[in-house]
Amino acid sequence: MIPTSRNFADRRGLQSRLLALRIVAIVSCALLAVGFWVLQIVEHDRYLQIAENQHLKTIPLRAPRGVLFDRNNKVLVENTYSFTITVLRDLSTNPDHNVDQTVRLLASVTGLDEARTLEEVRKHRREPLYRPIPIIEHATMAQVSAVMARQLEMPEVVVQQEPTRTYPAGGMAAHLFGYVGEIQQDQLEKAEFSGLQSGAIIGQAGLEKTYNELLTGQDGKRDVAVNSKGREIPALAMGEESPPIDGARLQLTIDADLQRALEEAFQANGFAGAGMFLDPRTGEVLAITSQPEYDPNDFAGGLNRAKWNKLNADPLKPLQDRLLQGRYQPGSTFKIVMSIAALSEGLITPDFKVYCPGKATIYDHVYNCDKKEGHGTLDLRQAIAQSCDVYFYQLAAMMNARLKGIDTIHEYAAQLGLTDRTGIDLPGEAAGLVASTEWRMRTAGQKWYAGETISVGIGQGPVSVTPIALGTMMSAIATGGTLATPHVVKAVDTGAGWTPVPRPASPRPVFPIKPEVLEPVRDGLWAAVNGEGTAFAARVAGHDVVGKTGTAQVVSSEMAKAMAAAKSAVNVRDNSWFVCYASRDNPEIAGVVFAEHGGWGATAAAPIARYVLGTYYAKKEGRPLPTMTVAANGQFTINGAAKVTPAPASAVIK
Amino acid sequence: MIVERRLSAHIDWPLLAAVLALTFVGLATIYSVTWNFKATAPGREFWTQIYALPLALAALGVCVAIDYRTLAQRSPLIYGAVVLALLYVAFFGDVHGGARRWIPIFGINLQPSEFGRIALALVLAMYFGDSRRAARSLSELLTAAAMLGVLFFLIKREPDLGTSLTLVPVLLGAVYLAGIRMKWLIAGVVVAALLSPVVWFYGMQDYQRKRVETSLDPWKDPRGDGYQQIQAKVTAGSGGLVGKGFKSSTQGGLGFLPAAHNDFVFSVLAEEHGFIGVLVALGLYLFVILRSLDAARLARDRLGALLVVAIVSGFTFQVLYNITMSAGLAPVKGLTLPLMSYGGSSLVATFAGFGLILNVRMRRFTN
Repeated sequence: MIPTSRNFADRRGLQSRLLALRIVAIVSCALLAVGFWVLQIVEHDRYLQIAENQHLKTIPLRAPRGVLFDRNNKVLVENTYSFTITVLRDLSTNPDHNVDQTVRLLASVTGLDEARTLEEVRKHRREPLYRPIPIIEHATMAQVSAVMARQLEMPEVVVQQEPTRTYPAGGMAAHLFGYVGEIQQDQLEKAEFSGLQSGAIIGQAGLEKTYNELLTGQDGKRDVAVNSKGREIPALAMGEESPPIDGARLQLTIDADLQRALEEAFQANGFAGAGMFLDPRTGEVLAITSQPEYDPNDFAGGLNRAKWNKLNADPLKPLQDRLLQGRYQPGSTFKIVMSIAALSEGLITPDFKVYCPGKATIYDHVYNCDKKEGHGTLDLRQAIAQSCDVYFYQLAAMMNARLKGIDTIHEYAAQLGLTDRTGIDLPGEAAGLVASTEWRMRTAGQKWYAGETISVGIGQGPVSVTPIALGTMMSAIATGGTLATPHVVKAVDTGAGWTPVPRPASPRPVFPIKPEVLEPVRDGLWAAVNGEGTAFAARVAGHDVVGKTGTAQVVSSEMAKAMAAAKSAVNVRDNSWFVCYASRDNPEIAGVVFAEHGGWGATAAAPIARYVLGTYYAKKEGRPLPTMTVAANGQFTINGAAKVTPAPASAVIK
Repeated sequence: MIVERRLSAHIDWPLLAAVLALTFVGLATIYSVTWNFKATAPGREFWTQIYALPLALAALGVCVAIDYRTLAQRSPLIYGAVVLALLYVAFFGDVHGGARRWIPIFGINLQPSEFGRIALALVLAMYFGDSRRAARSLSELLTAAAMLGVLFFLIKREPDLGTSLTLVPVLLGAVYLAGIRMKWLIAGVVVAALLSPVVWFYGMQDYQRKRVETSLDPWKDPRGDGYQQIQAKVTAGSGGLVGKGFKSSTQGGLGFLPAAHNDFVFSVLAEEHGFIGVLVALGLYLFVILRSLDAARLARDRLGALLVVAIVSGFTFQVLYNITMSAGLAPVKGLTLPLMSYGGSSLVATFAGFGLILNVRMRRFTN
């Protein structure tokens, strides 16, 4: 035993040394407590932020865009889910997350180029492991099922679904709907797109663009917890999940049946051109088209360079919206403007007669009439109905002599909306042009020559209008001077039911047209369709359609003949117009058909209008809708009615 | 040996209760941080720790039952056994993570180095227990240093610098209490302070200097050397006042903080139970330390007091350093938190140590 005693010698020194140890322990623990207080209370927010940044990852959930309905609540544009095949390296069973083997297999089963796919994956190698690398966007069902079948061999391959805009097949109303696409770099800087990040899908054309804000839903997000290796830990989803909110649904003013009829008629002919029908009382657009169309689905699915180049190189320019952006000489449809100007200014009465020998010599220059043998003596109504050029050359000459000539014409064209934009709720509309002395001076620094007014009298020369402006003009003829503002959206549903889209009460100035001016013009337009006129092809049994054909020369007659001889006829054929409203005393539909190089207005444009109008009344009266049979030679038959045959190219060249 | 009934009445139950409480806090934290969400079960580390508990309690029982004076008499044997075990490790030990530290025996991985502190405390207590030795002569100090040195060398070369460093406070505690002159202590501190610039400029490699710098400002190298220290701060700091809750550690549970069940178990406690949890655990540790120092104060002989202080010094140093490190306030060394960190051998050795402390207090009235 070691010698010890209860009171060993140095107990006192020992006790004081023990006390020192106690103090050291207490002070140390107190200091540690202070340290933790600073860390956990004072600097807590900072460290919590760092911790959350490390383990909370936000996965965006893309909101579907609003669905588009026609005026009868038929779905026109909706969303389907498309498949994106991605590689998620996080799922790799290799310790170093090498996915080369999987990517090789993936490339071979989906038919991709192996080297290029590997390269694509390598580009993303610095990104976090939990971020999927997109390999095939908008994968085909064949690719998806090929991947599914080999899932066990490729654990890193994940098929994701994303909402994708789906437009009616075949490019129906393409220019109306427009298309969506990824936001461009310059758009990101604009205020209206603030908050969007690159890769966001926005409307890039058509009403997708105009109504982008409404149609864009609110993207949702899901916060997920990931571990230090970037792997998602689903059980630990402590972050919030906010589901995506669909974009607002839009009810369009479009009637799907009329829309189909309008496009069907164009396509049966193979015409390029444009057409628009609206309710002249409200401006609600019932059918609208620009031909040829593109397929907006190509854009929704991410347009590849080849398709884009093809669309751009197409000589028919399908991307151009001819209705809103194309400007064309109105031809004889402009005689409506001339008639209203002449009557309103008291230049003539409706009974003012002119003798047409087939040509007129004015200011020592010979102007030919459309009908070489001459119309004989006609009053205004007959001149409108039979579209006598000589009559309107005469009016133009009289305006030069007694009124302000071209400026008078410009004034009335402006009142009828031909020099301005209609204000339709679609992007990119162009303003029309009708010459004036001021315009000539401003643009060319020259005087206007009185002789030039003569061709303007029949809608040739420096007068070019958009088809939509010409169609909208008919709403003023139908209503007695009120120009409708065409619009394509009727109501919006942001989740609380349909609410009408508010419109300004009278967005465009009203120029009342006196009945004594209006009635003779309407008589002439009625006769054009229903009497001995040029527009017989637009006749609809039981309904008083009023309308006016127009045929606008693209090149001079002499040159056309030369080119026709050289068998390049199509490009020089005249532009074909038809404007109309119905019925004469109860206007409910008005519109325009413009067939580019369609030839004679009476044979190209008018039958298209007839098909649309026939469909409109059949639908309204509950009858079966007319159908169209197209023969191999281009002839088409409407619902068993009298055959309307487009004249062969050679016959319509004047 | 049998504990007489009247002796068991003198067992320091509050100390034992506090030790067990800390052990259960540790178990709960290991359970929480190794929780596997996919398998909805705690990791195998938790079960290993659970299995170690009966062994630890048995060790504690043995260390209480045998009179500490007897143990001290036999301490050269115990010391020798540990040295032999460490030598065995040096040649035949199991290697995990690049370190040769373990002896696989009966399906357990025994880590002999953990028992170094107990062996050292016993031999030092025996050596200085003789009142004629007051650690005042150089020969006494050199002898004591040699007792430390053998173990230190064997453990450090495993390598396990952290564990070998925990032997130093055992020696310091013993010589301090034995009566080393204060001027020697002060001289030691002054010499260390004077030598540090010399070591800094001539004794250290560039990477070592960089490591020290990083430990002072971990943001200098947040992805490299500073990573663990920053993560420790973030882990504790993000806990706030009341913490994220049981099984809700994102830093430890999701693997951002390495060794979360081991060296950084206290950071996870701070994360899950916040400042309040920290105060409770810290309070328990302080209670255990003070209560143990009480045992030294009450010891019936110099030997007992020395034994207790040697053990408590090692324990206290380890606790204070580890908790400081858990707050990201000290350089990261592989140093576990006794009672709470994962590690069966450590638990058994720590319990054995507390067995000896209980032993000393229990026998304060016996002859």
